[in-house]
Amino acid sequence: MNIALLEMRRAKLRFGLLSVAVALLVFLVLFLSTLSGALIESFTGAIKNLNADVLVYSSSARDNIQGSRLNPTVTAQVADVPGVASAGGIATTTTSAQLPSGKGDLALFGFDPNKAGAPGGLKEGRLPSATNETAVDIAGATIGSTITLLPTNIPLKVVGILSGAQFSAAPTAYVDLPSYQAAIKASNPNVPFIPLNAIAVQTEPGADPATVAGQIAKAVPGTTGYTIPDAVAKIPGVSSVSQTFGILVGMTFVISIVVIGFFFLILTVQKMRVFTLLRATGASTGRLARSVIVQITAVVIVASAVAVLLVWGALKGASSGIPVSLDPTLVLGTVFAVWLFSLAAGLLSIRRIRSIDPATAAGAR
Amino acid sequence: MTTNTAAEADVQKTGRPILEVLNVTKTYGEGHTAVTAVADASLSVEEGQFVSLLGPSGSGKTTLISMIGGLLTPTSGTIRLGDQMVSDMTKKELTSLRAERVGFVFQSSNLVPFLTARENLLYVASLPKNHNRKVAAKRADELLGELGLSDRANNIPEKLSGGERQRVAIGRALMNDPDLILVDEPTAALDTALGRQVVQLLAREVKQRGKTGIMVTHDLRMVEYTDQVFEILDGHLTKSDGTTPPAGH
Repeated sequence: MNIALLEMRRAKLRFGLLSVAVALLVFLVLFLSTLSGALIESFTGAIKNLNADVLVYSSSARDNIQGSRLNPTVTAQVADVPGVASAGGIATTTTSAQLPSGKGDLALFGFDPNKAGAPGGLKEGRLPSATNETAVDIAGATIGSTITLLPTNIPLKVVGILSGAQFSAAPTAYVDLPSYQAAIKASNPNVPFIPLNAIAVQTEPGADPATVAGQIAKAVPGTTGYTIPDAVAKIPGVSSVSQTFGILVGMTFVISIVVIGFFFLILTVQKMRVFTLLRATGASTGRLARSVIVQITAVVIVASAVAVLLVWGALKGASSGIPVSLDPTLVLGTVFAVWLFSLAAGLLSIRRIRSIDPATAAGAR
Repeated sequence: MTTNTAAEADVQKTGRPILEVLNVTKTYGEGHTAVTAVADASLSVEEGQFVSLLGPSGSGKTTLISMIGGLLTPTSGTIRLGDQMVSDMTKKELTSLRAERVGFVFQSSNLVPFLTARENLLYVASLPKNHNRKVAAKRADELLGELGLSDRANNIPEKLSGGERQRVAIGRALMNDPDLILVDEPTAALDTALGRQVVQLLAREVKQRGKTGIMVTHDLRMVEYTDQVFEILDGHLTKSDGTTPPAGH
């Protein structure tokens, strides 16, 4: 006989209100986590999902790909470093373009399709393999449509749709290096040479990316090597955005745990007479503790289900301008963490139950 | 006075009693602040007997039945229920004892407020390790029927009268077919007529089912339904004929 669920059935309002309160808090945790994840992904996706293990910048770049300038001849030097399987140049700039949504900024990336540094996250179509073909992560773009670079009016035919490949939360297009160079030359014909911003490196199987990054920096003067996670973390603004959201999510998480913990503690204190009676009639402490665990679990399950529906609705209804989707791993991880920490908070109640002296039911003390 | 000698005499007269309390003392606190709630108490009760324990408030009667029922452990002395030495049991063993061999009826019924009358019975039935849900459901319905509560079975305590609540508590005490039923002031919250009815019911159930019952009461009028009467005053237990009010009343 499950006394915990029976009590919940008889006290629908009390447990319903708690479930709604917890649902709102879980909703906040999930919503903020999803938004921060999407925001960071839109800032870093181009680097994070790059088909490479190591990125090489110029030493003067101060950890920023946009501040890095490398002579294209460095690519061959990097390729010769032990542990490097493939090295390909990457160039990037921000330009204006005619996009499906109208005129706007575009992050343009040039890469060598035959070497390291191709974009990841291909959702549809293929990567560019000829001049003026492009794969894009741009809202509303479709295969076969055209993106026009401005003011040069160079048309780029969309042959691939990417996901999670944006840079600096801007629409992003990937072309091969010759197309990239042609675009730059068209707007600035007198440029003596077009530098690379980075060299993408794929390491040999079994090689440690961090070690290879260090070896490149030693072997090729004026360069610094970064593992991909390192390069992502050093993108300007990422760590502060990540920290800010982390604090918000953390605070909400802690508040939801405290609410659950205190609610069940109050409930336990209110039910001390009942628990004492049950102990006196032969219910073990473990059995009563289990009833608290069952109730916490039930509240977390109901609240999480409501929270997921709320987040789903909110994401569908809200237009944030960046691609946002609910990650099942995030949902499961968050719900599991809320449940686990709620159980830990439930220990306060269980401690009270453990301290019950069944003799007080008879009034013997 | 039910001293060792009196208890032993009872045993000799009727054979081995189901419940035997020998020289039990319960002291709270230590040193100068020590208070002896029960002093050197002995009694024995046979199967099928319903015993009353009379005494004023604070005399130690609740402490005594709490020790007998495994809610408290004595400071010294022994308590035996059937073949089990209650006084030597660990806390865990006492919990099992209370679930399986002792039925309690506390003052003011003390039911679980969010469970129906039937569920209050079924919950205690679920406590012993080898419980059978179907058997328990049948027994709960039978007991509620016997106690005249069939049509009130699905009501929570709040919807029951004082007498009905007390009858549910009796049903709960009988639910696990215990050897010993301990009843603490069953008439405290009831009027005289209803109180008498409840005690009659208790006496009948104890007799019919061959159980052993001890009822703590301060109401001298209720002793007529019991087989033995004990009085307790300042922790000292004596056997009484039940005709004169105990000291302190």
